[in-house]
Amino acid sequence: MTIALQVLISGLAAGGVYGLFAAGHSLIYRLTGIVNFAFGDLVGLGIFATLLVLAGTSPVTQAGAHEPRFLLALVVGLACCVGASAATYFGLVQPYLGRGSTIGWVAGTVAVAFAIRAAIGAVFQRSSYVFPDPLPFHRVGRAGFVGIGGAQVQARAFFVIGLALALALGSAWLLERTRFGRALRAVADDGEGARIVGVPVDLFVGLAFGLVGALAMLAAIAAAPGEAVSSNTGTLLGLKGLVAALAVRFGPPLYAFVAGLVLGVVEAAIANVHLGGWQLGPAYREVLPLLFVLLFISVWPSREALEERE
Amino acid sequence: MTAAALARTTGAELRRAAGEARGAWSPAAWVAAVALAIGLLVPFLGLGLRMDALASTVYLAVAATGLGLTVGAAGLPSLGAGAFVAIGAFTSALLMARAGWPLEPAALCGALAALAAGLISGGVVRLRPAFVAVSTWLLAWLVWLFLFAFPSVSGGSQGLIVPERTLLGLSATPTVHYEAALVLLVLSLLAIAAVRRGAFGLELSALRQHPPLATSLGVPLARRRLGAFAASAAIAGLAGGLSVQLAAVADPAAYDPFLSFKLLVAVLLGGAAATLGPAVGVAALGLIGLVSDPLARLLQLPLERFDTAVAAFLLLFVLALGGDGIIPWLSPWLPRFRRTRPPVTPRQGGRSGTRAALKVEGLTKAFGGVVALDGLSLELAPGETAALVGPNGSGKTTALRLISGAMQPDGGRVLFGGRDLTEAPTRERVRLGVARTLQTTSAFTELTALEEPVARAAALNALALVGLEQQADVPIPELTSSQRRLVGLASALATEPHVLLVDEPAAGVGAEELEPLARVLAEIGRQGVAVLLVEHNLRLVRMAAERMIVLAAGEVVAEGTVAEVGESELVRQAYLGAQRL
Repeated sequence: MTIALQVLISGLAAGGVYGLFAAGHSLIYRLTGIVNFAFGDLVGLGIFATLLVLAGTSPVTQAGAHEPRFLLALVVGLACCVGASAATYFGLVQPYLGRGSTIGWVAGTVAVAFAIRAAIGAVFQRSSYVFPDPLPFHRVGRAGFVGIGGAQVQARAFFVIGLALALALGSAWLLERTRFGRALRAVADDGEGARIVGVPVDLFVGLAFGLVGALAMLAAIAAAPGEAVSSNTGTLLGLKGLVAALAVRFGPPLYAFVAGLVLGVVEAAIANVHLGGWQLGPAYREVLPLLFVLLFISVWPSREALEERE
Repeated sequence: MTAAALARTTGAELRRAAGEARGAWSPAAWVAAVALAIGLLVPFLGLGLRMDALASTVYLAVAATGLGLTVGAAGLPSLGAGAFVAIGAFTSALLMARAGWPLEPAALCGALAALAAGLISGGVVRLRPAFVAVSTWLLAWLVWLFLFAFPSVSGGSQGLIVPERTLLGLSATPTVHYEAALVLLVLSLLAIAAVRRGAFGLELSALRQHPPLATSLGVPLARRRLGAFAASAAIAGLAGGLSVQLAAVADPAAYDPFLSFKLLVAVLLGGAAATLGPAVGVAALGLIGLVSDPLARLLQLPLERFDTAVAAFLLLFVLALGGDGIIPWLSPWLPRFRRTRPPVTPRQGGRSGTRAALKVEGLTKAFGGVVALDGLSLELAPGETAALVGPNGSGKTTALRLISGAMQPDGGRVLFGGRDLTEAPTRERVRLGVARTLQTTSAFTELTALEEPVARAAALNALALVGLEQQADVPIPELTSSQRRLVGLASALATEPHVLLVDEPAAGVGAEELEPLARVLAEIGRQGVAVLLVEHNLRLVRMAAERMIVLAAGEVVAEGTVAEVGESELVRQAYLGAQRL
């Protein structure tokens, strides 16, 4: 019971971040029919831009952030992420959409992913960094851990879960209730039709690229001080988002978000849960969900995922 | 397609290609032979080259050439080629290091393991390209994460030490590996070139250019693509299984998703459209490495990071230039192999066997709450031409789709010659003799008129039937739109159907072209093919059809000879508008 609670809370915290990546992937797919393979790395770019402004490239301690400086760093990081995401859309995705060239946007976004990872690795040459913590979680409970029903849980986990939920519900509201959201849904329904009735499709889709990047980046930064960050951090989060989005076969963004939450809990369970003397262990944590989702989509694709017969 | 069947066709294609090559021995062939001879002699010229680096580059070229079949011929955006190299490499390395196997069988097992992985993950080839890209990308990560998570298999960060071995009876030095890799490269190039030019390659090409049209002609989409995907995987696995012994250690870090990306970059850099493209792409990457590696050392940047960035920027550069790659750019200046088309002799007579009638009973289909077709029943006698007419939205095209198998009905049956075809897939119906045309004019823009009917012996017959035998070798984009429409008709005819379903052949056709079209349809009928003509244009219906079935709101409202139905005032007013027959 104790361990179940621990798994659930830490899993939901990780899953909340995965979920925002998954929702971003699925929104972009539904808007454009493409998958942005650079999504994770674009967010990684924002995280490291934030880190650069905060602490330079030197290793930092966890409590080294001051609030005004942190806000400035966050704004710079968000600007980098949003700008680079929109640039990826206008430079590498949109030109190929018109031509119907799949290989163009696939190769283009993957190239951006590797280019960003290379650039981050060239500037930040250590294998991992500690992300400074603007919020004083280490003062909560015992060195940042609180006990619930016998379980020791990072206080940060609750903050991350809350933030992820707030961002997910906020963007759901945005899609449902605002003119911008309605326009996006119109584009997802019928891009050409939306263009004809006067929706500035390219501008709005470019904005959506930036917006999903910003949302995912906020969640990732909230979780970042919990563990070491490296140039792989963004890549792996993007990958988890893809796994969750593929599990719902790029369905509605809110489904993808929930799939992300589930993925987080499943990963934590695989790593920690003993059933009698039998335990899968951390080695299976990342491999098993990936394998399962791949087999799932290969054996049981949705009608929309199948190559159209006519 | 099973591996055995693939091997059989490949063998046949190789023999045919060898025969053709003898017939077409040209300056280009001499250039190729001399280049190969120089390549084989390179180690003995005392150039001071690092043979191990050279040999591993050639192995990479083998894997890239295999990937060319998936990316170039089948048009599938695979981001997982490196996964198959890794599977081949670690299978082979484990067998050599743990079980003491010799190199050759270990590498073959590596290829088989990669083939198996390709077949298992190959279900994704049925999916849309975006899903193929995502799934193969996840596969690349899965294999890499697996290697890191399970050091008991991969040797962890140390890697697996691979013992010394012999290769084809010689001690496996880098030079021996180089020669073996070069021979393997040439063999795989020849095999893939032959496959791409054969029937399999044409079907892949048709699937790449227009999946709906190709499947409507009975090309089995999943099987053909799976064949290409699995063959690529096996070739990559073989290259991985051999090259791992050359490297002397199987290091998981060398098989990260970047390897998959690098292979894709090589394919696109060299040109996916050309068989030789991927190998040229690997060579180009290698040459660029000669410049960029010293530069990285000069700038004190980590080498592997720099490699990644160089490959990424090269790819962005190629894409910015239009994405064709080196070989297509150079093609105006390259010597050409004379392209001879396999001799096709027109056959006498059509399909043998008894002609059968098509019978449709109570077909029903609803989309959400909208009933598109409500209990359609009709019969088509052998050799008869009937027209299915009705206003927009009356269910004509839905009926055609249900009969051809592009869509499953909610209720009712499709019978052909007494066989129930209601559940049968399109290709089974085409095989039995029920074919259809699509409303679009032909969209296989890269083929010639003869190639479009997917290289069947019946192709010339079919072209003759529509009056295009003189245009057999003309590239499709150079035909007029009405000729292209006829090519589409010929494609369906080349499947030698008993029943031909024709979808609005007169859409967008000028008044003066109606008569020739009607003559072609009449000629098709005279050959004993039953034709179901779905058509708006009543002039064409009157010229071509004997019987007429009028649909409205998913139901048959009138049926009879063209004259009878045309005279029915009720039908004319309600469904045919003011148009006079």
